[in-house]
Amino acid sequence: MTPIARLVSALIAVLVASSTVATANPAPAGPETDIARPGQLRTAQQQTKPKPSPKTTPPDKTRQPRPTPTAPVILSPPPERIEVDVSTRTIEVTSAFAGTEIIVFGTVLNSQQESAESGYYDVVVVVEGRGATSIVRLKSNVGGLWINTQSVRFDNLPLYSAIASSRPLDEIAEPSVFVANVIGYTRARMFPGRHSSKVTAEELEAYKTAALRLKQKDGLYVTSDYGVAFIGPALFRASIKLPANIPVGPLGARVFLFHDGQLLASQKATVMLERQGVDRLVYDFAFEHPVWYGILTVAIAAAAGLAAALAFRR
Amino acid sequence: MTLYLPIAEMSINVWVLISMGAAVGFLSGLFGVGGGFIMTPLLIFIGIPPAVAVGTGSAQIVASSMSGAVAQYRRGNVDIKMGLVLIAGGLVGTVIGVDVVRILRRLGQFDLVVALGYVTFLGIVGILMLIESSTTLAKVQAGGKGRGRRAHAHSWLDGLPFKMRFRHSKLYTSAVPPAVIGTFVGFLAAIFGIGGGFIIVPALIYILRMPTNIVVGTALFQIVFVTAAATVLQSATNQTVDLALALVLVIGGVFGAQFGAIAGQRLRGEQLRFWLAALVLLVGLRVGYDLVVKPAELYSITPLVRGLE
Repeated sequence: MTPIARLVSALIAVLVASSTVATANPAPAGPETDIARPGQLRTAQQQTKPKPSPKTTPPDKTRQPRPTPTAPVILSPPPERIEVDVSTRTIEVTSAFAGTEIIVFGTVLNSQQESAESGYYDVVVVVEGRGATSIVRLKSNVGGLWINTQSVRFDNLPLYSAIASSRPLDEIAEPSVFVANVIGYTRARMFPGRHSSKVTAEELEAYKTAALRLKQKDGLYVTSDYGVAFIGPALFRASIKLPANIPVGPLGARVFLFHDGQLLASQKATVMLERQGVDRLVYDFAFEHPVWYGILTVAIAAAAGLAAALAFRR
Repeated sequence: MTLYLPIAEMSINVWVLISMGAAVGFLSGLFGVGGGFIMTPLLIFIGIPPAVAVGTGSAQIVASSMSGAVAQYRRGNVDIKMGLVLIAGGLVGTVIGVDVVRILRRLGQFDLVVALGYVTFLGIVGILMLIESSTTLAKVQAGGKGRGRRAHAHSWLDGLPFKMRFRHSKLYTSAVPPAVIGTFVGFLAAIFGIGGGFIIVPALIYILRMPTNIVVGTALFQIVFVTAAATVLQSATNQTVDLALALVLVIGGVFGAQFGAIAGQRLRGEQLRFWLAALVLLVGLRVGYDLVVKPAELYSITPLVRGLE
């Protein structure tokens, strides 16, 4: 061990310690990082301390840094940013629609990771549909019959939600970080809305659990613990399956970059699910001109019946 | 081959739907009923939302009853005047029924009412038909003749006002009972997604004492108009009519009905009624079973979209 190597490891120790001190001096958020997190403090601190080039000493949390052959260069690594996009920006929902798959991909700018396998960064991808009020009903036995007796409304529950991450979420960061960034439909954020039955706190918890369970059973809430993979030091991708029963509408993709439990950057992209072709015509007609739509349906059905009567007349 | 249904918002195998349409069409051709009481529970069973199943079921019955009504009309088996009185009542019943559907959906009790209604009506009608057909069968087997048309007997119904002459039915009776029957059946058509043939046919025979040969034709004539009105009103009020689903069911149903009608000619009337009664009871029991047995999942979730508030 050379003195230089000792200096480097001491430096790393200081950096790790400093990253746990929160809110001391807020870092200027980059244009793409729309959420300022304590993790960015690390970059602020780095600007005041000399540090070897990331190319020569990759800061890998599992391995000791290698000794640098040259003298340490006084250079602070710029903060990480991410750029993301989706493979398909507009998905056509036609009469042949049977679900599809989109790829959310992105790149880490100023990546300090050595290779795709080093696991320096964690990435969480959240793809969500629009929010809507959902009614959760509970059946109970009334005089021998199982009927709906109580209900709780949850406002703004996403109609679809997919979470893919490079590791299980609880290994990436503290639950509070996910709650603060609305990552995953955390039960803490579900409040009973108007017209809900009066229920106790325990009962409400059961409703929340049931709501998430039912959504998962319908394939509308999905989590994929190892669904995000790095392809190189900077490039990552996640494949998100959209089921056939996905409610049509815009989908928002949010991507979060983590290191060591800290959120470094986040970025958004949008996917449009749009009805196309005959399906769109039928849907628009049914909702914009419901009376004429009904008359058309009757006319088609009556014509089919007449045609059958004439075709099979004996 | 799957088809994405625009209103039900789900993807489903076309062949499943066509064979369902054909199977129900076969039964409807065989027994001379619309088949709505089998189609609606089947649609719910394969995952179509109950409200969409009911709305779309009405459209499918328009097609099947239309082909039946045309065939009956050609044989001169439709009493148009009686049909119009039934339709007048039927339209009132449909308007009320569609609004009741809207209210029940909002209360979250629509599925329950549909299930209870099925159990009640299918149970009553099934048992009555079973008793009637088995006693007739027993009589026929004992060497006697099947029951013929009863002679017109005077009852309290003849004391009601608005007397009308129904030449085709050879009846001079008050317009109130057929209008009430029509209203009731229209109401049921809208709520349960059925044509109501299995209720209107016995009502015309036993309450109005219409000649049996023109009962089926007149009932079909009324069912065409009432289910047509129900379809338009369901679409206007609840937006629950799926054109793509209706079309696929109609295609299967049209073919099935023709084969059913051919098969039906080989069976005797009371035998047909016996098997129809058994089928009606079976469907009723199946629906009732789900009400009585503790469901595996006690919770259900419904997103409030499309302004159902």
